Amino acid sequence: VGTPDAQPLIPEPGHGQVFLGLGDQSLLEQSTRQLEHVYRLADPALSELALEPLLDELLARAREILDVDTAAILLLDDAGQELVARAAKGLEEEVERGVRIPVGGGFAGRIAAGRTPIYIADVDHAEILNPILREKGIRSLLGVPMLVEGAIVGVLHVGTVTPREFTNEDAALLQLAAAQAAPAIDRARLFDALDRERRSAVALQRSLLPDRLPDLAGIETAARYLPARDEVGGDWYDVIDLPVGSVGLAIGDVAGHGLRAAALMGQLRTGLRAYALEGHAPGETLKRLDRLLQTISGRGMATAGYAVVDPATGALRYAGAGHPPPVIVREGERALLMKGRPAPPLGSLPFPAYHDVHDALEPGDTILLYTDGLIERRREPLTAGLERLRELAAAPRSPEQLCQHVIERLVPATGGDDDIAVVALRIRPVQDAMRIRFAADPQVLSQMRRTVGRWLQAHGAEPKEVAAITLACGEACANAIEHAYAPGVASFELEADHDDGVVTLAVRDTGRWRAARGTNRGRGLKMIAAAVDELDVRTTSAGTEVVIRHRLGAS
Amino acid sequence: MTPLADVRFETIDNVVVARLEGEVDMSNADDLGTAITARVSSDAIALVLDLAAVDYLDSAGIHVLFDLRERLTRRGQQIRLVLGPDSPVATALEYAGVQRTLGASPTVSDAIAGLDG
Repeated sequence: VGTPDAQPLIPEPGHGQVFLGLGDQSLLEQSTRQLEHVYRLADPALSELALEPLLDELLARAREILDVDTAAILLLDDAGQELVARAAKGLEEEVERGVRIPVGGGFAGRIAAGRTPIYIADVDHAEILNPILREKGIRSLLGVPMLVEGAIVGVLHVGTVTPREFTNEDAALLQLAAAQAAPAIDRARLFDALDRERRSAVALQRSLLPDRLPDLAGIETAARYLPARDEVGGDWYDVIDLPVGSVGLAIGDVAGHGLRAAALMGQLRTGLRAYALEGHAPGETLKRLDRLLQTISGRGMATAGYAVVDPATGALRYAGAGHPPPVIVREGERALLMKGRPAPPLGSLPFPAYHDVHDALEPGDTILLYTDGLIERRREPLTAGLERLRELAAAPRSPEQLCQHVIERLVPATGGDDDIAVVALRIRPVQDAMRIRFAADPQVLSQMRRTVGRWLQAHGAEPKEVAAITLACGEACANAIEHAYAPGVASFELEADHDDGVVTLAVRDTGRWRAARGTNRGRGLKMIAAAVDELDVRTTSAGTEVVIRHRLGAS
Repeated sequence: MTPLADVRFETIDNVVVARLEGEVDMSNADDLGTAITARVSSDAIALVLDLAAVDYLDSAGIHVLFDLRERLTRRGQQIRLVLGPDSPVATALEYAGVQRTLGASPTVSDAIAGLDG
C-alpha cells in the first residue's frame, strides 16, 4: 500500500477509487432522464420474468443506461466459498468458462467479502483474479454486492474498455439493478433446491415400488401410485408371488411426507415382503412388521393392509393395521367393504394384535386395496369417502380399468393433497378358452393344476375326468419345464379350449424335443396317452407342442 | 403356508411307516424321496409308505417310488405301498402301467402283516 504506482486495493476516496454509500436519494431526483433510468432498472415487470430472462434483461439495461461495455453477475456457490459467473453481457466467456473467484480475493471477491461497492479506475493497478477481464482489455470496473436480507448472494459488476470515472450516481443505479436481481435469484435457488429434493424423493419413491407386477396364472392384477401435488409421501403397494400358488397383496401408508417417509416406506415394503415369503398369515405378517418398525430409529408410524389370496380356491385372508378396509367387488354386481377387526397402526402401540378375517373370492371377483388419499376429503367424514368408493367400484371391470376408474373419478387431475396407492386383484373369470404363460419352473405346476382343474369343472368335467386330464396336462407341462435348459428366463404356454364337449389343451415350449430320458419321461407320455383320448406331440423348429384332447362325459 | 406335501413317520416293530399327504410332483418328489430314505435306518426291516392321503402323484413321484424300492432292496429291506382303492395314486400307477410291479395293500396293518419273514 505504498508506492505511487500501486494504488491501495481498497483506497480512501479521492485516490482515483471511490467508496460509494448505499442509496443516495438526492442523486435519484436530478433529472427525468435519471428517473427514467431508475424506472427501467426497478421495472416491476422484470420481476414477472423467469430467472434467466430477468438476468439477461437487467444486464442489457444496465449496460445501456450506464453506457458500459460489459456487465456480469457472479453468484455465491452453495458452500459460500466462491463466486461463480452466472450471466454476462460483453463478457460471455466469463460464464462459458465458469469463472470462479474466491470470496475475499480479487475484485468481485472483495465486494462479496465486504458487502460493499468497489470502483477500480485502472485495472492495471489493481489485484484482478479474473483473467478474462484483462484479456478483454477492461480498464475501469464498478461492482456492487447483491444482498437479500443482509446476506450476500452475488456480485454485479460493469466495466469499460476505455478509462472511465464512475460516479456515485452510477453506483446507485447499479445497486438498483442488483436489488432487483437479488431476490429473484434467491427465490429461484430455493425453488431449485426444493425441486431437487422433490425430484429425488419421487425418484426414490418410484424405485422403492415394484417396477412391474408378477404375471400370475388364474388372476389379474393392477396397481397405481400417484405422488401428492406438492410433496412425496410414504404410500406403497406390493404384489407377492407366494410359494404354493398363493398371492400376497399389500398396501401401506407411512405417516408423514418427504424423503424420510419414502425411505421408511422402502424398509417396510421389504420387511412385509420378507415375512410374507416366509409364509406367515396376514395377521402374523403385520405383527412381525410392527416389531420391525419398533426397531427402526426415529420410528415412524404406518398403516398397512395385507391380503393372501389362493387363486385356485378363492380363499381370502386379510389383516389390517389401522388401514381403511378393502373393497370386494362381486363379479361386477355389487361392491362391499370387507369387515375387519379394528387394529392400531404399525408402530403406534406396544404389543398390538392383528387378526385374520376370512372370506372367499369367486371367479370374476375383485379385491381392491388403497390408501386414504383416495377417499379423504377435507371437511367430510371418512365414511362418506368410503361409501363413494364402494359405489364407484360396483361394475364389471378388469383390475386395470378399476384402478383407472376410481382414480379418474376421485382424484383431481392436478393431483391430490396426499399421495395415493391402489392395487387390485381379480380372480380370472372362467372363459371358454384360456391362454396362460407360465415360468418354466416346477413350482408353477400346482398352480397350473388348480387353474386347469377349475376351468375343467366350469365346463362340466366330472371329478374323475378333472383328475385324469389334470394329470395328463401336468405331465405335458413337466415336459415343457424339462426343455427349458436354455439360458435366460424360460417360459411355456398353456392353451385350453372347449368345443362341443371336447376339451383341448396345448402345451407349447420353445425348447427342442428331448428323447425320453430313462424311463421317467417316457413314463410321463405313457401316462398322458392312458389318461386321455388323444395325445399329439409336434416338434417344430420353434419348439415342442403337446396337444391333449378329451371328450367329456363319454365314460 | 402349507407346503405341497407333508410326511410323518412312525416306527412299529422295526418297520418304518411313512405317511405322506398332499401332492407329489416334479417340484418336491426328489426332496420327499431323500427325506424318506434318511429316516429308514439300517436296522429297520421294512418301509411302509402310506399314500392313501396323497391327492396327486405324477411321473416324477412314480420315479421316486422306484428309486426308493431299488435303494431299500439293495440294503436288504422291504417296501410296501398303502393305497386306497380308486385313489388318485392308484389311478396314476395304473396309467403308468406299474400298479402290479409296485404292489399295494389297502391298509398299513395289512401291509405290515404281509411282510416277508
